[in-house]
Amino acid sequence: MGLHLNLSLHKLPFMLVGVAFIATSSIVNAGQSELGPRVTIPESSGDKCILPASEMRRRHPDLLKHDRIQTLREGLRANADGSMLDGSLKQCVNCHAIKSDDKYVRIDNNEHFCVSCHKYAAVSIDCFQCHRDIPEGSSNFHALSGTKKHYGNVLPGVYTLTNKDVANIAPEVRSDDN
Amino acid sequence: MTINIDDKNNENQVEESSRRNFIFGSVAAAGLTIAPGVMLYQTAGARSLSDFSLSEKASSNVRWGMLVDTTKQVDWNKCVEACNKEHGLNNETHSRDDQKTQYIRVVNVKNKGTGYSMSLPVMCQHCENAPCVDVCPTGASMKRADGIVLVDRHRCIGCRYCMMACPYKARSFVHEVLTDQTENTPRGKGCVESCNMCVNRIDNGQLPACVEASEGAIIFGDLNDPQSDISQLLAKHGSRQIRADLKLNPGVHYQGI
Ligand code: SF4
Ligand code: SF4
Repeated sequence: MGLHLNLSLHKLPFMLVGVAFIATSSIVNAGQSELGPRVTIPESSGDKCILPASEMRRRHPDLLKHDRIQTLREGLRANADGSMLDGSLKQCVNCHAIKSDDKYVRIDNNEHFCVSCHKYAAVSIDCFQCHRDIPEGSSNFHALSGTKKHYGNVLPGVYTLTNKDVANIAPEVRSDDN
Repeated sequence: MTINIDDKNNENQVEESSRRNFIFGSVAAAGLTIAPGVMLYQTAGARSLSDFSLSEKASSNVRWGMLVDTTKQVDWNKCVEACNKEHGLNNETHSRDDQKTQYIRVVNVKNKGTGYSMSLPVMCQHCENAPCVDVCPTGASMKRADGIVLVDRHRCIGCRYCMMACPYKARSFVHEVLTDQTENTPRGKGCVESCNMCVNRIDNGQLPACVEASEGAIIFGDLNDPQSDISQLLAKHGSRQIRADLKLNPGVHYQGI
């Protein structure tokens, strides 16, 4: 079934309060690193993504929707300049797959790239009920670093999620065009 | 993967003559068959698959189609196997055999009167006027500009209207949670699926898997291009479409049925 970003909107105010709380406490306890839950954003292996990381964090749901219309419904599978950046989800998976003990971690594992953040944000995705969650080892396959980078606590300045951003994102996420 | 119509235990058994009429329709008496052994020569086509770029949208100037020569002594099960491998099918663990997904089946038919029997591969016929597209309430069942009929699983709600509408029984429903899909064919529980003419391969300049496995018994090409191999063969030898009486104008043509 579709990519339903069930961003529980009624939870958003709490999340924002949470962010504000963390922000306040971080001023009080500046320098402390053990505040609140940590989000571990695994490092990817490709050279670069289609947008800077900060943009990808915010806009990837819209990009995925856009790309799936291009690839599936219109049959367009590469960039206009001919470069082979496949718009299908497999390209995302190929770069962002995480290895643990030399094996790719699957979608039921909290270390999976997508899960690592979505679990924290309470956003349930069902992309991987149909899509393959790990690389297949095809020719499009990139070498994987499998290393992890800790971004520390979710603090203003690392993630700049403002009320305005939420207002901007939410209508797109809720749009019926899925 | 094989439907044997003569199987007495088959609860779906249809009386032979009516099944034959069901499949071959009212044009059955036209008697247009090509002699066994007529070779389907590979002629120089105008535009080949590799002329199409990954960065081009599917275009309605093209209509992809297939021509199946059933007079060739080919083990059609090889095509079924190739299809299953390409799309990662047959990985259900809880479903009954008749629930498992089939993109392509081998149908055996026998004329009880004359004893003549034959088998033919039947996949989604990629109808021009596709009933599965007409009935879909969500726009999930769709026809691409180049004539390939597919299910957009992002929109499919699993209502299965399209399965009922399809006269070729080409569609399957996934009844259970799947894992380990192939990266090119996402598929999962609650969605309907069918042969997509290996759209992932076509967009990549490759032939569909069953065409490759058919040892030349299935010809793939552009029906809109009079210079293509398939158009030339159709112009020269003619063809039959299954249930042509329904006027769905399938993109899959047959010779020898
Ligand atoms: S054969 Fe069936 S599934 Fe395929 S296009 Fe025709 S109606 Fe649709
Ligand atoms: S099962 Fe899916 S593709 Fe078929 S008619 Fe219903 S929504 Fe459309």
